[in-house]
Amino acid sequence: MRVAQVKRFVVSDHPLPWLLPLVAILLVFTVYPLIYNIWLSFHEYVPRKRALEYVGTQNWVQLWNDARFWQSLTITFIYFAVALAFELVLGMAIALLLDNDGFGFGFLRGVLTMTLVIPPAIAGMMFLLMQDPQFGVISYFLQWIGLLDPARPILATASTALAGVLLPEIWQWTPFMVLIFLAGLRALPREPYEAAMIDGASSLQIFRRITLPMMAKVIAIAVLIRGIDLFRVFDYVFVMTSGGPGTSTYTLSLYAWQQTFSFVKWGYGATLSLVTLAIILAVASLFIKVAKVRW
Amino acid sequence: MKDSIRKAYLASVTDRFVKGQMDRCSFLRAAGTLGLGAGALGMGLGARPFYGISRAQAQDQELKPNADVMKWLGDVGKPFAGTTLRLATESTPPSNAIATQLKPFFEQATGIKIEIEVLPLEQVLQKLTLDVASSLGTYDLYYIDQSWAANFSQDVFDPREQLKNTELAMPNYNIDDFLKPLVDGIAVYKDAMVGVPYDIPIFIMQYRKDIWDELKLPAPTTMEDLLNASKAITDAKGPTVYGTSGQMKSGHYSLECDWTAWLWGHGGSIFDADGKFCGNDEPGLAAMAYWDKLKATMPPGVDGWTWDGEGQSVAQGVAASMLSWGEFFPFFDDPKASKVSGLMEAIVPPKPTTTLRTVKETAFGEIPGVGHQGGSSLAVSKYSKAPDAAWVFMQWATCADTQALITVLGGGTGPTRKSVYDDPRVKANARVGAGTTRHLPVVRDTIANYMGSEPDLPAWAEISSDTIPVALGKYFAGQSGSAKETMDALKIQVDAIVAKG
Amino acid sequence: MNPSVASRTLRTVGAWVVVGIFFFPIYYWTSVAFKHGNAIFSRPPNLFNFTPTFDNFQKVFGISFGTGGVTVTPGGGNFYMAPRIWDSIVVATLSTLLAVVVATLAAYALSRIKFRGRHEFVNWVLSTRMMPPVAVAVPMFFIYKQFGLIDTFTGMVLIHGLMNLPLAVLLMKSFFDDIPVEIDESAIVDGASRFMIFRRIVLPMAKGGIAATAVLCFIFSWTEFLFALTLTTTSLKTVPVVSSTFVTSIGTAWGNMAALGAASIIPAFIFILLVQKHLVRGLTMGSLKQ
Repeated sequence: MRVAQVKRFVVSDHPLPWLLPLVAILLVFTVYPLIYNIWLSFHEYVPRKRALEYVGTQNWVQLWNDARFWQSLTITFIYFAVALAFELVLGMAIALLLDNDGFGFGFLRGVLTMTLVIPPAIAGMMFLLMQDPQFGVISYFLQWIGLLDPARPILATASTALAGVLLPEIWQWTPFMVLIFLAGLRALPREPYEAAMIDGASSLQIFRRITLPMMAKVIAIAVLIRGIDLFRVFDYVFVMTSGGPGTSTYTLSLYAWQQTFSFVKWGYGATLSLVTLAIILAVASLFIKVAKVRW
Repeated sequence: MKDSIRKAYLASVTDRFVKGQMDRCSFLRAAGTLGLGAGALGMGLGARPFYGISRAQAQDQELKPNADVMKWLGDVGKPFAGTTLRLATESTPPSNAIATQLKPFFEQATGIKIEIEVLPLEQVLQKLTLDVASSLGTYDLYYIDQSWAANFSQDVFDPREQLKNTELAMPNYNIDDFLKPLVDGIAVYKDAMVGVPYDIPIFIMQYRKDIWDELKLPAPTTMEDLLNASKAITDAKGPTVYGTSGQMKSGHYSLECDWTAWLWGHGGSIFDADGKFCGNDEPGLAAMAYWDKLKATMPPGVDGWTWDGEGQSVAQGVAASMLSWGEFFPFFDDPKASKVSGLMEAIVPPKPTTTLRTVKETAFGEIPGVGHQGGSSLAVSKYSKAPDAAWVFMQWATCADTQALITVLGGGTGPTRKSVYDDPRVKANARVGAGTTRHLPVVRDTIANYMGSEPDLPAWAEISSDTIPVALGKYFAGQSGSAKETMDALKIQVDAIVAKG
Repeated sequence: MNPSVASRTLRTVGAWVVVGIFFFPIYYWTSVAFKHGNAIFSRPPNLFNFTPTFDNFQKVFGISFGTGGVTVTPGGGNFYMAPRIWDSIVVATLSTLLAVVVATLAAYALSRIKFRGRHEFVNWVLSTRMMPPVAVAVPMFFIYKQFGLIDTFTGMVLIHGLMNLPLAVLLMKSFFDDIPVEIDESAIVDGASRFMIFRRIVLPMAKGGIAATAVLCFIFSWTEFLFALTLTTTSLKTVPVVSSTFVTSIGTAWGNMAALGAASIIPAFIFILLVQKHLVRGLTMGSLKQ
């Protein structure tokens, strides 16, 4: 095309020039890995020969029959559901609490966001130390109020290990939700509130009938973004429990990582990753439809 | 003056100086009387910032590499100036000592740059596996834990072959100086030498002499002694102090290490002569029964700890003993990091309850012995883009002179060479205090007579870091029935993995 | 007492308590940075009663506070970490720049230009975020090795920029959605081209949104672990990855790790403070008040 035509194209209404950098990067960094992983899932690495061999659908069959896969799936789901529930409810509650121009509230909001700037890998170590059965602050506190049996450390007991890993998760990401909800709250129009006050509605009614519906879109987006990340959770488990005790904190991402990097089962690791992706896609699409999220 | 008296006097004099009860002049005078030059003293002072004495002073004295070694480096290494060598390693004392203090000497002499990536052990394995699988040559040298030797034996050069190149060979490198049991246990796989032994964490019995004396208990020289003493201590002093500790984190390699000590110590073994898992046989189950009883005397956090937590439990006075890596001993003697400085004693691991199985009764080179060793070797990668330069570095890093320096600087870590144990610089550090080497005779004895080595087969990395510890973890968490049931199920799993090859 | 004063006090007290609870781990971690190994492990846990020391910071930053210079720890000391903080800052800043620029351009088009398949395109962008990082790390490792991007700033900036793109696009699109289309249309009537409208009119109005997006991108890059672990070896290491170095063969150097952790909060926090004014206002995803 000649220069003049190109110039007109660029400043025209055609979306392509605007989207091109984005599409280019995404193609290289996501479409290519996707294809590579699909290809990989039909192969497996043989250490003795130091080469990849074609194995057909062996990985997929193995996955279907792999008890540890189904267990990882369950664990990831539980992690996802519990974390999301806590973060949503706590996030909303704290946002309502802090949505105030009173003295010091700006400072408080600032301090709250500090939890976000700590790398999850380090936050995991922090909570690992704090939950140490002998020297940890959290363990000590829980033992003191009688909730924790010293003989069953949080992170070493199968039934409570997941809770132990969820602690830093909730601690770090509730403020994230708070931020989002705060912004949403601040953008809400005043009139419905004023009307409700005149009508003498109670706080609870106001919240349920006015705030919540108006915040619906914000909540939906928050759920979507956080939900996707929760499904891929890796840092905390990697650093704190390495999937233990037994296999009680083995999330899908950790399992895929371990197969790929520790046991060089690239094919199987790729298969696990693909299944994770498929599940997230399915759940997210369902959510977008049901919650009528519209871009 | 008798040698032993002289040593004791030197120790007490050093101690007084360190505590600030004696000034430098008097100290040097006293030391001079003892016939030791300032040089040897410099060794003892160099490793720790004892109350304001800076490390710089130690460097004036003899904590420098041997001049001949440096000259050789210059001659042989200068042609490679400008190369950069990379190594990924666990954060063990030798690597740290090299990375922080000794590297500059090497770099200055040769102009070769060394970059060391320090990672937790699992991540080292992951990076090495990736490098080898893709032949990428990201790393020029490999730090190979003995449990991975089988995996990487084809990917590194055999040092005996490398030594044949007389142009690059270090004079007096003396490859026979490496302790033979270590060579066999760490650096040999099927007649190929997988580098040279580089570090040797090994299980030794470390216990609180003061508590043992207080309760008038016999030193834990047998399994029975250990169990009885531990029980007595926990009964008398629990829950503030427990008798012993463990590294029983579910799903972690450390749990497998603990298991082997008790397994071998009861006359059992991991594999039988046919290469089949036999941890579920009679001695194996006896070991589990013993372990259960012993665990009851351990602090409750033990299921969540690796050797890290185990060491801390002893250092903070929560557990009165541990059968674990000798590397921890200097840490216990450091007053800044532990509460038990000077109170610990080291002896060889407890005697097994019955005769050990021999190598002929096991498979894959498994050598039963209560002193479980977790050493690593250092080797040059076949995929390296600069193998000759890497070989020069490797020789320097593992020569006797460097190793002596490492031992003194790196806090009393166990040397892998005979001569280093006898080096005067190392011996002078055998006093109470951070960086002590007073446990080294025990380490040496254990290596020579009581060492236990894991089997070597390609699938071992997976079996030892995942299959076994996950199964054991489930057992101790009460998730998998009786010991027999657990072991039987484990047998099926392990045999399947070995069969796949 | 006036009920509204009571409820206001209650609210204030509640707010301080809640934020205090959230802040506690940070306080604890910072206190660990100032403790000797001995004091970190005490029973019962020691929160206030310890003698502070600068040793940990000295080792991590290699500077002397006059108590004896850089010293050796029992496991050897490879804890000089100050350059790593710089590495993290550079990677985070540049990748944020990349992500924000590309995302803003794309988001504007997605917001304004109604083309067929727009909804599906946005869904596709969002779905790229759903890939488990492991799945991307492996092929990326090989590509990077091929092009010599391992251990380079370019490599890390690219991967982090990519990682943040989907979120950045989504966020910027909703900010643009909040700016009424009428503004654009009136400018078009006046004869301005798309790009000019974008640059001169809409962009300045979206400053708050850009700030918010930039902050989130910076944070995600600053704290990212998996790619940084896989795609770097020795020359470049970010703070999260380097924290593993404190796990030695004879125990974790908690004090030093805490020192690094405490110190690394500072740059990120400064970044937030700088854009804080726009942050809360800008995170609006509902409708703007007229």
